[in-house]
Amino acid sequence: MKILIVDDTPANVMQLQAVAHPLGHQTIIAADGESAVAAFQAEVPDLVFMNIMMPGMDGIAAVKKIRALPADKWTPIIFHSAVDQMQDIVSGLEAGGDDYLAKPASTQLLQAKINSYARQIALQNKVHGYAEELARWREDSEEQTRLGTHVMARLTDAAGLRDQMVRSFNLPAETFSGDLLCAARAPGEVLNVLLADAAGHGLAAALSALPLTQAFYSMTAKGFPLPSIAEELNRKLKAILPADRFVAATLASVDVRNQTVEVWNGGNPDTLFLNTQGEVAMRWASRHPPLGILPDELFSGMSETVVFHEPGDLVLSSDGLTEAEDLAGARLGIDGVIGILGKTQDSDSRFKLLLQGVETHLQGQPGRDDISCLMVAVPIDRRRQFRFSAPKTINQSQFAEWRLDLTYNAQELRYIDVVPAVLGLITQVQTLKEHQGALFLVLSELFNNALDHGLLGLDSVTKQWIGGFEFYLQQRAERLAKLHEGRIDLSFLLHQEESRAVLDISINDSGPGFDYSHRLQGQTALSEVNEQPFGRGIALVKSLCNQIVYSGAGNKVWCRYIVSDLVLDAPSDAEDGSSAEALPVTGKSNPGTQGEDGLILF
Amino acid sequence: MQINTVTTDGKAVLKLNGRFDFHSHRDFRTAYEHALDEAGVQAIVIDFQDVDYLDSSALGMLLLLREKAEAAGKSVALVSLQGMVKQVLEIANFGKLFSVTG
Repeated sequence: MKILIVDDTPANVMQLQAVAHPLGHQTIIAADGESAVAAFQAEVPDLVFMNIMMPGMDGIAAVKKIRALPADKWTPIIFHSAVDQMQDIVSGLEAGGDDYLAKPASTQLLQAKINSYARQIALQNKVHGYAEELARWREDSEEQTRLGTHVMARLTDAAGLRDQMVRSFNLPAETFSGDLLCAARAPGEVLNVLLADAAGHGLAAALSALPLTQAFYSMTAKGFPLPSIAEELNRKLKAILPADRFVAATLASVDVRNQTVEVWNGGNPDTLFLNTQGEVAMRWASRHPPLGILPDELFSGMSETVVFHEPGDLVLSSDGLTEAEDLAGARLGIDGVIGILGKTQDSDSRFKLLLQGVETHLQGQPGRDDISCLMVAVPIDRRRQFRFSAPKTINQSQFAEWRLDLTYNAQELRYIDVVPAVLGLITQVQTLKEHQGALFLVLSELFNNALDHGLLGLDSVTKQWIGGFEFYLQQRAERLAKLHEGRIDLSFLLHQEESRAVLDISINDSGPGFDYSHRLQGQTALSEVNEQPFGRGIALVKSLCNQIVYSGAGNKVWCRYIVSDLVLDAPSDAEDGSSAEALPVTGKSNPGTQGEDGLILF
Repeated sequence: MQINTVTTDGKAVLKLNGRFDFHSHRDFRTAYEHALDEAGVQAIVIDFQDVDYLDSSALGMLLLLREKAEAAGKSVALVSLQGMVKQVLEIANFGKLFSVTG
């Protein structure tokens, strides 16, 4: 301990030193008030003995000055004075002193006082140390939360959630939400959404759900079907999470062009489709255990697809929403949610009402669990828009040829998602990358025709029946599982044809073919086939490709997709006008359906 | 939560009582580890008759039990499901992971 002794009488100083030194304490001496204040600041003592009557600044004034200094610890000050200065002692204690000792004090009393203060100071230092440690912890924790919030916000920032069809809220029980919402467009304009709810809440839960984002976005962008995405998400989580952690999830895919909604629900409340009258037109209950529990071989990605005939809102939620409790402990429930949503017709006010409704139901308490909801406004769009990026002109005098030939046999066709796999291969070619959306549509139409009709012998006519589409999908799954023979060959040739870069696609299947001359007659304009649930596909391919040719028994199809104009010679300023004129028109066989800015309406 | 274990004929019945949530972690683990350690016990039965609340950490504990029982070659069954407990287990499709009887 460092003891500051303030006294102008050397004998008093020596007595205190004689007591303090054998006890192992260090002493500093000051003979008046001014030097006492200076020594206090310079030496930061642990204990002060202060005389009152001194030349210059007296002890009381010195204590006032010392106590006015900024301090981050408590330093006891003991007045050490003659008994006849009792009045001064009282004002000294009022000025900020802690104790007094009357002179002359015995050696034993001085020893006892110093020991007593040493104990108090040791205790204080300990408490002070704890407080400092706690403050450091708190600072660390705040810093980590700040950093975590930032990183988490970036990692989970889904530009897709700003899609005009999507509305969502996520009310965390703590700083971090264990609920994760994602939305993204697949090639061909299909909208995929994900609502995941990791067990528990807070940072640990948020971390559990995090691995889902990247897999969801990359597989959606590549056009993988929903069951394959579900399988991959499960595989990822199963590999990462401990046995007692899991993530309830709903995956949904909304295809406005084909008027279908596909849902995989594992552990979340019912997914709802509310029509404009506020009636529940479709409902998908949880059919699977949450993600991250089952090993790959036991997991099922089987989804349920339903055709919609009226517009409405698709509603996904976490159990935090249905289990939100009011002050009396009553839960909102799925019926409560439906009741709120059914009060109005348009998506925007439905969404706002639900958010208000939840807050009203909670009656000002914070939710016990993370509460999230994702709504998709599903339209009936007769025009069925497809946006594609307009082809660019490439300044290249020589265009290198690129070729890819692939064969899939029955065995691989049973489990490989061929379209996204092949699309992934061909869009690695830089020139083709920006055509991903259109190529996905062309490829999936032609490939699915070869597989569904060529090899599986399915008849599109069944899609016309009531419940026919669902029946079609079910039959497709059954027949595909049993497929034992047959093959599909795909071949791609990117090459130069006159002044254009073109991609020739041919797909041959080993099936019996079909009467193409009869079937395709009169199907030139998309508008004519728009009202039918089949035949749209080929018309769509026609609108995207320059030529389409069936041959053989109808089991061979060839089409030419125009990639871009090539400027064969380095362009000069004088030639600017002519190159603009040569901009290719995709879908020019149907000039009537060509919209503005590369928007094809069909 | 209170847990009452009755063992007869190689079957350990863990009768739970009250709220089955995060705070039951230690009690539940002690109870099932005891049953797993006993060589004579072949089947572990969790009785939910008197459970009035169940949260996601309880589901996690059941999954842990399932894993440990599998490793020990013992079976786990969930019985007497009712009310909210039944609902939660249904939504999580635990019927696909455990033998479940109403």
